[in-house]
Amino acid sequence: MRTTTRAVSVALLALTALTACSSGADDGAAGAGDTASGGACEPAGEPVTLTYTTWIPGIEDVVATWNEANPDIQVEVQTGPNGNGGTYQNFFNQLEAGNAPDLGQIEYDALPNFRVQDGLVDLGACEEVVAAKDQFVDWTWQQVQLGEEDSVYAIPQDAGPMALFYRADLFEQNNIPVPTTWEEFATAAEQVRAAGGYITNFSQADINQFAGLVWQAGGSWFENDGEQWTVDLTNEESVKVASFWDDLIERDLVSTYPGWTTEWDNAYNSGEVWTWNSAVWGANSIATGAPDTAGRWAVAPSPQWEDGDASAGNWGGSTTAVFQGTEHPYEAAKFALWLNTSEEALTALIEAANLYPATTDGAQLPALAEGVEFYGGQPIYDVFAEASEQVSPDFVWGPTMTQVYNDVSDGFSQAITGGGTLTEALESAEGTTVSALEAQAIPVAK
Amino acid sequence: MSSAALPGRRRVSRVAHKRAIAVFVAPFAALFTLFYLLPIAYAVFQSTRVVEREGTFGPPREVFGGLTQYAQALQSSPFWDSIGRVLLFGIVQVPVMLALALVFALLLDSPLVRGRRFFRLAFFVPYAVPGVIAAIMWGFLYSPNLSPFRPLTQSVDLLSAELVLWAMANVVTWVFVGYNMLIIYSSLLAIPAEVYEAARLDGASQVRIAWSIKIPLVMPAIILTAIFSIIGTLQLLAEPQVFRTFSSAVTSTFTPNLLVYSTASVPNVPLAAAFSVLLALATFVLSFTFLKVTQRKAFQ
Repeated sequence: MRTTTRAVSVALLALTALTACSSGADDGAAGAGDTASGGACEPAGEPVTLTYTTWIPGIEDVVATWNEANPDIQVEVQTGPNGNGGTYQNFFNQLEAGNAPDLGQIEYDALPNFRVQDGLVDLGACEEVVAAKDQFVDWTWQQVQLGEEDSVYAIPQDAGPMALFYRADLFEQNNIPVPTTWEEFATAAEQVRAAGGYITNFSQADINQFAGLVWQAGGSWFENDGEQWTVDLTNEESVKVASFWDDLIERDLVSTYPGWTTEWDNAYNSGEVWTWNSAVWGANSIATGAPDTAGRWAVAPSPQWEDGDASAGNWGGSTTAVFQGTEHPYEAAKFALWLNTSEEALTALIEAANLYPATTDGAQLPALAEGVEFYGGQPIYDVFAEASEQVSPDFVWGPTMTQVYNDVSDGFSQAITGGGTLTEALESAEGTTVSALEAQAIPVAK
Repeated sequence: MSSAALPGRRRVSRVAHKRAIAVFVAPFAALFTLFYLLPIAYAVFQSTRVVEREGTFGPPREVFGGLTQYAQALQSSPFWDSIGRVLLFGIVQVPVMLALALVFALLLDSPLVRGRRFFRLAFFVPYAVPGVIAAIMWGFLYSPNLSPFRPLTQSVDLLSAELVLWAMANVVTWVFVGYNMLIIYSSLLAIPAEVYEAARLDGASQVRIAWSIKIPLVMPAIILTAIFSIIGTLQLLAEPQVFRTFSSAVTSTFTPNLLVYSTASVPNVPLAAAFSVLLALATFVLSFTFLKVTQRKAFQ
């Protein structure tokens, strides 16, 4: 008798494990996909309230401006952690439960992932959206069409052209020339190390940054011919980039703090790390993470693979997407267009969050011509404007980027801590990515 | 009960009892079903689903797939690696922690120690610190650059691939020693004074009393704490999750629960559900085996 009671209580305790684990998946039973799809894009004809989830700093003020001018389309904004930091998972759970917000911020690399989960309303039915096409930089529009001629799955918001943030003061004091090629970068890395610093930090967490480097080198990880996907994480360009960093890591010429942590902030703030090859929005990250270094930074174009080349990578950049289940696709699209094309909204976004608009007019806004104090008064956006034009439009994101990032990042972690190389990590992630696509019943070419 | 002792009222009171029991149990039963049994059933249901679609971007449909997800899960090497990792963790950490808890409990219970109330509280305080906060605090203490003990943490990198598991074991031990100590200690307080008196009359020393009387008598409490600890070990989530922000060596599949979490965020919910069910079964089997092996001795 006593044994039975004990056995039962043990069983119950053990089951706690199950409840604890499954709670994330249990937010709701309704499957996405059978909710209203975006066939029609008609105005509601009555006042509506929309919900919008994002992680742009300072977005509340921008939305307040809209709400004041549009009493009939009120927007309630909610902010959260950045996409891969938790917001995407919330979106997936909300879509599964059928209570996603009307609008959400999604980076370009995650759009196919949401498309595959059938989470996005096709705004191709909204005339105003289709008419706005010419306002946007070509490659950003291409990224939101996902290879479908008449579809628009989100409104591009900003781009993340990459350039080299560097400590102008330290480079000058130590007589180290600012590198213009990756070869020079490796040489400079030795000199910086000799001066007691690290030229940059290689973060195993930022696989999208690594993808940006591959993008710059002319590689692409995915291809979709309309019938099936091709996965190629180990193409020539990727291996070139991976070997380059493998070498720097092995020779202890770069630090390897996990990105976006206090350790990482400290490394920049204390002057231990001297450069960051990052996207335009990174300007904001340095200013907040390394406040003690104000005025000592400058921005130069990314180092090139061949002397005289002019290509740039892209890291991040977001879109505003309308989620399946919304009852007001017309109003949602209208707000998204205003947010990402109007002068007042874009100016506010540039000032609050250092966003670099995805529209051609937005890139000419006076707010982008000003010098930035943190960067010694340098008009840094000029550098990024140039980079923006050099970003190749052909980079394709896969439909399971969260998984790709996780798996590559796990492999990179091992490489950094002495088990294997970055190239091996890419090889192994290519295998797991193919299995992940198959698990989602997505056809893969082998 | 007193009312049941009166023969004339027995009938009435039985019915009243049943009603009272139903009323008292109902809130528990409702919550238990809603937040416990249903989610479990749903997780099991989800683990039997597979996704189907047409073309590259066709809408996904979930259909019954039998044990497909379980086959996937059992073939996943990160899954087995993570199980191996927590088992290694448990084999070392649980005995160390419980031994410490037992020693502290015996010291608190021995007449030789002064300041008993102070120490009881002092040992227990870490348990009052939320697990995530404890992990963040220790993460900073271990950090080679931010720690107040930098000479030490820079010469021995506690966050390296070799040591990070034991760095976490230390955090878990720090948090839970006091909690386990309290369970064992309260069981020590329940031992009748006559037993000690008899032992002393027989000339037993304090050490002898601890070894031959106290430890055997609190064995059930120790086993209870051991089972809690085994379950806790298999469920490690907060510590590795927090340590990911301090150490590059902690992967997204470091422990089984972390693996479930990252699988669910792909989102590959059916596979994550299958991992969860397997983990729950493993926890049950392990706890039950432990109980079977130990109970003969302990509950004689």
